[in-house]
Amino acid sequence: MTTAFSKITSGLMASQALASALEIAINKTLALSTANVSLEKSIQKTITIELAELGFPLSFTVCNTIENPKIMVTALTDRADCTINTSISTLRELKAEQQLTELIKQDKLDLTGDIKVAQQFASLAQNLDIDWQTELANHIGDIPTHKLMQLGKRVSAKVRFAVKQINADAGEYIVHEKRLVVTSSQIEQFNQQVVEVSKQVDALEQRISKLVNHKANH
Amino acid sequence: MSASEQNQSPVTQDSTPNNTTHFGYKTIDKEDKVSMVAGVFHSVAKQYDVMNDLMSFGVHRLWKRFTIDASGVRPGNKVLDLAGGTGDLTAKFSQLVGKDGKVILADINSSMLNVGRDKLRDKGLVQNIEYVQANAQYLPFEDNTFDIVTIAFGLRNVTDKDMALRSIYRVLKPGGRLLVLEFSKPEHELLNKAYDFYSFNILPKIGELVAKDGDSYQYLAESIRMHPDQDTLKTMMDNAGFEQTSFKNLTGGVVALHKGYKF
Repeated sequence: MTTAFSKITSGLMASQALASALEIAINKTLALSTANVSLEKSIQKTITIELAELGFPLSFTVCNTIENPKIMVTALTDRADCTINTSISTLRELKAEQQLTELIKQDKLDLTGDIKVAQQFASLAQNLDIDWQTELANHIGDIPTHKLMQLGKRVSAKVRFAVKQINADAGEYIVHEKRLVVTSSQIEQFNQQVVEVSKQVDALEQRISKLVNHKANH
Repeated sequence: MSASEQNQSPVTQDSTPNNTTHFGYKTIDKEDKVSMVAGVFHSVAKQYDVMNDLMSFGVHRLWKRFTIDASGVRPGNKVLDLAGGTGDLTAKFSQLVGKDGKVILADINSSMLNVGRDKLRDKGLVQNIEYVQANAQYLPFEDNTFDIVTIAFGLRNVTDKDMALRSIYRVLKPGGRLLVLEFSKPEHELLNKAYDFYSFNILPKIGELVAKDGDSYQYLAESIRMHPDQDTLKTMMDNAGFEQTSFKNLTGGVVALHKGYKF
């Protein structure tokens, strides 16, 4: 399955297309960041990420140009200073530098090579700070940006409310109408009953062993 | 030495008589090919990048990325981007080899070289790039100089491909590799027919409209058809001394990337 997928993605040059899109997005983001993001100490360092879902590696190299350093994304594997094998869901957790060791401990992430390089890249991602409002205002003006932001906040609040409502309704339907799952109080009650039965079994076991000992002595 | 003076090889290729070669579908004297190809590229140099994007729908960028990914380039490597034209590969290699490495952008055509140099300088890529006007058949470099040699969409324009391959082999270091990215033969008949229709009916019209030069793009289509297919080019690389030669078809064989090592 993975081989077939790799063959298809290789034929379609999916890794090159993704690398190209990522490279543009990353360097645009770096250029927009208002925080002082320094790439200098990572020049010519490469981190390779192998995601279980993709079937091909992606390497991120900090390169130097006369204007400013940029990140190149390639599928080159043999120049990696550090290689991370993980999944997309774990990658989302990898925002903080401190998370790195925690995720390795949990076996969610496999790291080979120089951990400092991985920490440098994680810290880079953590330090990015983009003022989207100012960026948008530069393109469409202050008032439309303000209106758009307010609209965005209202829509986001409504979406959050809708999600909460849907979750509650779905829970109600599954628990009370379809009876597919039980409530937490029912689980608690069941657990308590299990503990009671377990105690009774222990008492019975002790009683039986006493009787057996008693019979053996006579 | 001028390009046409350089081009006096007695080696035969493409089953043409000793003193003739192909220029598209035309059979011409070998000594005329360099100047005729030069004419094509002098004419299209300024619109070359725009035309590449239009003709390939931007896919040429992915083909070139694939070449970089297959090159195994490392910091400190010395790379020769032969027939490098407007420097797409050079730009990427320059950043990947770093300050300890070097990239030579070589092209036989001065107009292409000038466009490439201006483009790379505008991108701020100056520190590790050199520009050399050179004929692939007579590379002006010492033996065993480069870790990687690439020739992207250039080999089909070379008069004597066998000689060029031997010349490249000479300048590669032991352990070095050659990557040839070139138009090739589509794997499926249906794709082949669609590609033929596109190449001979639409391509020259785009060339006429954008680069004001339909003839050059007619030559492009013809030169692609006259270029050796995947297996033939692989054999030519083997004959030139390359080892572990292989090729990978891209976009159904419209383009193929050949790779070979010198040990």
